[in-house]
Order: sequence, then C-alpha cells, then structure tokens
Amino acid sequence: MSAVDVTRRWFLASLGSAAVATGFLPGGAQAGPLFGDVSSRGYSPTLWYEISGDGRILVHVTRAEMGQHIGTALARIVAEELEANWDHVEVVHVDTDPRWGVMITGGSWSVHKSFEELSRAGAAGRIALLEAGARMLGAPLKDCVARASEVRHGARAISYADIVSSGSVTRQFTEEDLKAIALKPASERRFLNRDAAARDVPSKVNGTAVYGIDRKVDGMVFARPVLPPTRYGNSIVSWDDGAARKLPGYLSTVVIDDPTGTCQGWLVAVAESWPVAAKAADLIAVSYRSDGGAASEDQMLAEGARLVENPSTGGIFFQEGDPLMRIAEAAALHEGVYRTHTVLHMHLEALNALAWQDGSTWHVHAGNQWQSVTLPLVAEALGIDQADLVFETSYLGGGFGRRLYCEYIVPAALAAKKMGRPVKLIFARSDDTKFDQPRSPTVQRLRSVTDGRGALLAYDHRCASGWPTRSIFPEFLAPSADGHGTVDVFAINGADHWYDTASQRIQAICSDVVHATMLPGYLRSVAPGYTTWAVETHIDELAHKLGRDPAEYRRALLGAKGRNGGAAPHAVGGANRLRAVMERVLEKAGWSAREALPPSKGMGLALGTGQERDMPTWIATVAQVAVDTHSGAVTVERLTSVVDAGTLAHPDGALAQVEGSMLWGLSLALFESTEYEKGLPRDLNLDTYTPLRMTDVPELDIEFLRNDHMPVGLGEPGVISIAPAIGNAIFAAIGARVRDLPIRPAAVRAAMGA
Amino acid sequence: MISFLVNNVDVQVDAPGDTPLLWILRDWLNLTGTKFGCGVAQCGACTVHVDGQARRSCVTPVASVAGSAVTTVEGLAATAGDGRELHPLQAAWIEVQAPQCGYCQSGQLMQAAALLGETPDPSDDDIRNGMAANLCRCMAYVRIQKAIKLAALAQNGGRK
Repeated sequence: MSAVDVTRRWFLASLGSAAVATGFLPGGAQAGPLFGDVSSRGYSPTLWYEISGDGRILVHVTRAEMGQHIGTALARIVAEELEANWDHVEVVHVDTDPRWGVMITGGSWSVHKSFEELSRAGAAGRIALLEAGARMLGAPLKDCVARASEVRHGARAISYADIVSSGSVTRQFTEEDLKAIALKPASERRFLNRDAAARDVPSKVNGTAVYGIDRKVDGMVFARPVLPPTRYGNSIVSWDDGAARKLPGYLSTVVIDDPTGTCQGWLVAVAESWPVAAKAADLIAVSYRSDGGAASEDQMLAEGARLVENPSTGGIFFQEGDPLMRIAEAAALHEGVYRTHTVLHMHLEALNALAWQDGSTWHVHAGNQWQSVTLPLVAEALGIDQADLVFETSYLGGGFGRRLYCEYIVPAALAAKKMGRPVKLIFARSDDTKFDQPRSPTVQRLRSVTDGRGALLAYDHRCASGWPTRSIFPEFLAPSADGHGTVDVFAINGADHWYDTASQRIQAICSDVVHATMLPGYLRSVAPGYTTWAVETHIDELAHKLGRDPAEYRRALLGAKGRNGGAAPHAVGGANRLRAVMERVLEKAGWSAREALPPSKGMGLALGTGQERDMPTWIATVAQVAVDTHSGAVTVERLTSVVDAGTLAHPDGALAQVEGSMLWGLSLALFESTEYEKGLPRDLNLDTYTPLRMTDVPELDIEFLRNDHMPVGLGEPGVISIAPAIGNAIFAAIGARVRDLPIRPAAVRAAMGA
Repeated sequence: MISFLVNNVDVQVDAPGDTPLLWILRDWLNLTGTKFGCGVAQCGACTVHVDGQARRSCVTPVASVAGSAVTTVEGLAATAGDGRELHPLQAAWIEVQAPQCGYCQSGQLMQAAALLGETPDPSDDDIRNGMAANLCRCMAYVRIQKAIKLAALAQNGGRK
C-alpha cells in the first residue's frame, strides 16, 4: 500500500517551510521555552489566553471569523480545562504577529487542529491557579478543586481574579510539561457538547460588527481596480484617463507595477469617494498586449476528458494492490465519467482591502483566511520586511475559501504607496467575479470490477482538475505516493473512500489548460465537493447494476477492514461510524418505505467523510426528490443528514454549519455554475449567477450522533453528500442517471432517453 | 446640499445627486451597518427603509430621498418605539442565533421589518416570498425564517 502521507510528514514539513518562508514560527516551536508569563497585566499560562487581574479571561483567536462563531468554539475548549466562569471569558481576534505562528482558517480545521493545544493550555492554567489558590487558602492542594473561575476548598473559595492580582501565580511550563498533562475525562466536562450563545452574534444584528470593508482611517481615499481582459498574460500598452478626469472627485489612475507578478496588467482608479472611483474605472481606456492563453469552459472540460484517458499523466494519491491488472483481465468492467462545471464563491462582501503606512509600519485591514501566505506576498510587493507589515483582523463577509489567498491586497498596498496616503480598494461585484478563484471544471473517470457477490476487486479513480495549491502555495504539494511527481491533496481528498476494496489506485491530474485560464481556488468543501460526487454516484450505479439495494450494498462494503478500521484519536471506529450514521439516516428518512412514494418521486442515499481521511466527519444523507418528467426539473423535498463529528465544541454553531452547508450542497447540485468564455466567467453578478434563495429551501432534518471522540471539521463536510444523494434520488425516481454537476433539467431529460 | 432624515436625525449631504444612498450612508454618515454586496439590487445586503418602504440603497440615488425619512439597521430598534435596545426582530435573531458571517443580516432585518409592517402575521409562504430577494450566502435561511416567525409572535403580543 502506498499513500500520500498527509499530516505526519509532508504536512508538518510544509508548515515548517512556511515558517521559514514567512518568518512565522509555529506557536510553541521555539527551542526549550518556558510557558507561563506573569506580568502586571495578568497571567498567561501559554500564549493562547491571558487572565487579567480583574478575572477576565481573554482568549487569543488566530482563526478568522467568517460565520462559524469560531471564537466561541475555541474559547469553550479553553474554558473547559481551565474551569472558567464563562461570563468572564472574552474572545480576542488578534492581528498578525510572528508569535502566533501559522495563521490559517480553512479546511474545516480550526477546532480539530486547535483542540489538543487549547485544551492543554486551559489545563495548564487550572493547574497553576489551583497551586497558587491552595497556597493562599492554606489548604492541601489535593483537597482543592477549580470550578467557575474559583479555587474552592470546602466552603471557602478564592477567585481567579484575586489569585492573579495577588501576583502569586508563578508556575511555568515546558513543552514537555504541557504534553504530559492529562486532560479531564469526558464525564467531567462542563462546556464541550453543551450550548452557549455565540459571542459574535449581537454585533451582527445591530450593524456594529466591523468587516474588512467597514474600516476608515484619516486621509483615506477610495479605489476600484481596472482589470485586464483575463487573469494571466496581459501587459498594458497604453492608457488614457481623459474621460475620468472630468469627474469631480477623481484623483488619479495608478498603474500597478507589481514586482511579484501577481497583478499582470492592472490599474487602479483612485477618487475621493468609491462611487466616483467606480465610474472612473469604467471610463479609463486601456490597450493591452495579451498572450491569448485563456481557454473556454468546453476546452477545459475537453482537456480533462483527454487527461483522464492518458495513462502517462497524474500523481498517485493512494494505491493498494494492482487494480490495473485486474481491470485488464476482467470480464466485466463498470466505468463512469463524472464532471463538474465551474462554480464561484460569491461571498457577499465584495473583495476589498485598506492599506496605509504609519511611520515605518504598513497596515492592512482586510478579511483574511490565510495571513501567513498573503503577508509575505504583500511585503515583497511593497519591498519591505515582513516585520514592518501588520494585517489587522476583521470579520469576513463570507470566506468560503476565497479569502485564503488574498492577492487583492497587493494592488491596494501598491496604490497606497504610489498615492502616499491610505487607499481603500473595493472591487465592484463584476470585478470580484471576473477574478474569482473558482472551483475549476473537473473530469473524473472511475472504473471498477466486482466479484459475483459485489465485493470490489479493483477500483481506479482518475481526477483531472485545477490544483489550487500549485498556484497558491506550491510548498503544500505532496510527493506522489510512487515518488514520481507531486499531488495536490486538496484537489483529490475524498476520493480515498472508506469502502473495502481489494485493490485500488487514486490519481490526481493537474490541468495546465485550467491553469492558463484561471487561478483555481479552494471553494467550500474543496475536493470532496466533487470527488464524493463521483464516488457516491459510482457506488450507487454499481448497486443498481448488481441488483442490490444501494443501502444494503454500501453496508456490505463498509466492513471496516484494514485501514478502514480507523485510527485514534481522529478516526476512532473508522467505517463503523460511517455505517452507524447511515443506519440512523435510513431510519429517520423512512428508507424502507421508499417504494411507496408516488411515481416520479424517489429517495437517494450518499455518504460523506469530508474533509480528509485524517479528519473524517461521518455523514450520511438521504434526499427525497420529485422529478417533472416533462421538463426534467428536479424539486428537492427533503434532505435528511445524520452527522458524527465527535465532540462538539459549540453544538449550536455546529448545527448552524450543517444547516448552511447542506443548503450549499443543494445550491451546488441544482442552482450554481458558470462557464468560462474568453478567460472570464460568463456570469458576473447575482442576476444570472443564482445561488439558492429562501424559496428553494426544502425540509431539513439533521441529527448529530453525540459522543466524546476527538472533534473534527464542520464548516464544509455537510456540503459533500448532498449532490450525490440528489443524483441517486433522481435515478430512484425515474431511472435517469446524471453524471454532471450541476444537475440541469436538460441533462435530466437527456438521461431519461439514455 | 441634499437634506433628509436618517434614523430620525436631520442630515445634509454635499454629494452629486446620483450618488447611491448606500455610499452616502456608509462613507458620508459613517453608518456602515448597511452593506455593499452586488451593486445591482440583486442581493439585498444594502436594504434600508425609505419612508417605511424597503429599498435597495445601492441603486437609490441620494437625490431621490431628499425630504424623506431613511431608516438603517442602526435605527431599527428605535422604530419599535418602546425604548428597548433591540427591535423584536433583532431580539429574535439573537434568540435563534440566526447570523453566520452576518454580512447580509442588516439587509435581512430591514427586509423582514418591512415584511412585518405589511403582514404582521405572515405565513411560511409569506416569509419565503417576502424574503426571496435577500441572498444569504451562508444560507442561514432556516434560522432567518424561524426568527421572523418568532418576532411576529412577539410583536403580536404572543397572540396567534
């Protein structure tokens, strides 16, 4: 068996190289430090929070708030082990500083990847306060307990505030001390798996929440970009702002001379107000020299189809046994090609960045999911040390992956440098869409061989797409499992399903045609958003071909054999947990009664394990659909999902994420897509790009299987099983098999004839 | 100078008459609760009230509101008229923890307030149809709908 080693070696090495490249050191990675900072302000057992003399517990959050209520979830983890009084806990979203280490919010990682470190930090604080509190109470340590921000001995108690303000907490911890701390047993938990109101909600209902676009500084002017005809290969031959100069309030046009090559042929129109800058941008006449390398949607899909058939392409993500030999020898092969069209982020807060210089320090205020990758880029563009650049933190009006690589900060910073004053650059919606970092078109070919009883003897999955990581952070590319070439795991995750298979090969293929056309990005649910479409459609096809109930067939494949048995702590139970959510969703959705549905209605089942095998969130979904056989229109009547995400740091926030992500999944399945024409998306605004609206919301039925296992991700996994559940339901309803996303009525009609 | 009322305060702004009201509110008057989303009245993030009616401020020339009363999310609570810090809709929004990223929520609240103004006891379909023009990209629709029902109940004094 050979597999890309996602977290243990390659991933950590990448973070290490990121630290070198960016000057960021991962938190706690310094040699032999002592944690436990006693200052006049209070006590910080580690850098993740500070208890001030008045008892307030300020939790330092490095993850971006973009709808997940992440500060609340992370603070609950600290509060649990610290035995805090929740009313004393405050969430502080920090600005960039090397001491925070790598700052990234993506991959549905935040809770999972912070859990151990924040738990130990909380526990360290509890230990330190217990020791100091016991001394102050003159009581034996073993007879004292910590609870609700107090150290208690019998009827006597002393508050954390009094302990800290007395200056008597002196405890420090080494890295080894922290690692040695045993966390509380689940039976002692008072915060996790229990609800609390999210701390960010009140400011989001009264207009006071500050997003990137809301910041103002003295002397600020406004700008809108003037974009070249396509993402790549353009240079400016000449430009004329004669018409713009007639506009009152128009100031200047700045040619973005970008030493990093990020902005190729950009200008920025600057004015006293944004409406004037917006108008001016439309009036500036530019002539470009273009290399004409951009492709259309059809060309990208045709290239994908060619790539999946070309055996010399692709890097191996996972291989076990020799499926090709079995495929070559097989009497019967099941093969399917599955495609997805380009989809856009359409985060509602249009891209924007405010940049200004204050003395020797440059400041940027902009929503940001991956400060560690963009800050070095902006510093290079400005020609300054990274130490002289600070990214301020704000709420994000939607992230969804578009604010991971924030290349749009570069033109704002360069315009501010040229103007010698603060510049707030705001993209018009059409600008934002033109230079989105879309989920590229994908083409996947699956081939499988089964024995007489349906067991998977051979399984071969080849996926051609853009590789976001190649464009954005090539250090994150993993070596191919066979040592030849590389793999973007973020372009293929999810293909490594949990069904027992005697031999299999999973390959990711990078499409250069995509990369010449767009900057392919990470879009909520990332690779599992399309790989699971292919896998779960294919398994369903196999079940029907074999004359098996799709649920019963999946049950038979979920034997939790070998590596599918899972691993501690992140995937305890493995495929057994996937089978458990499946059994529960079948019960909830009334699967056994599905034959009683009227004609043209059907139920489909799909399983999802996003976002990656090393952090599986176990989800099973049943979709109930009604198909209009004349028009091909599909109505989703009900979506039932059962989720096992281990411990829930903030259960109501978890539920909200699943509600929203299920509807994202529905939106991507039926309502969203665009086509590239001449290097740009055809649909530039929300008049023709049409995400789901309130009138399209079906009945949602969601249940969490609750336990105390390691928490995993929740921002994206809810998306991924929705589309295949709908496709499988369409087949159950009318016998038409759709293999393309989104599922358009014309495709359903065509499949009915097939 | 163009004069109008914003959240019950007289304002005079010096701006070209075709400047969208959205930017006047945000950049002239520092009322940044009203958001820029699409710029073409398709998402509803910029929804405010003009003389009690929901309007998309991104396509409303400021000259057209001369002499009118404009209400933004910052002034929504005051329209409830009982001195409370939160409008019943805002209280319901918190009760059901409706916002995710929150960016569209000012517009959702203003649209919902207009809806309840016209239809104090809305059915599920009334809510869905009345809110269909407001996009929530986080797709927090389930909770928005729930919050509107809750607020309607509270506004009607618990009568149903």
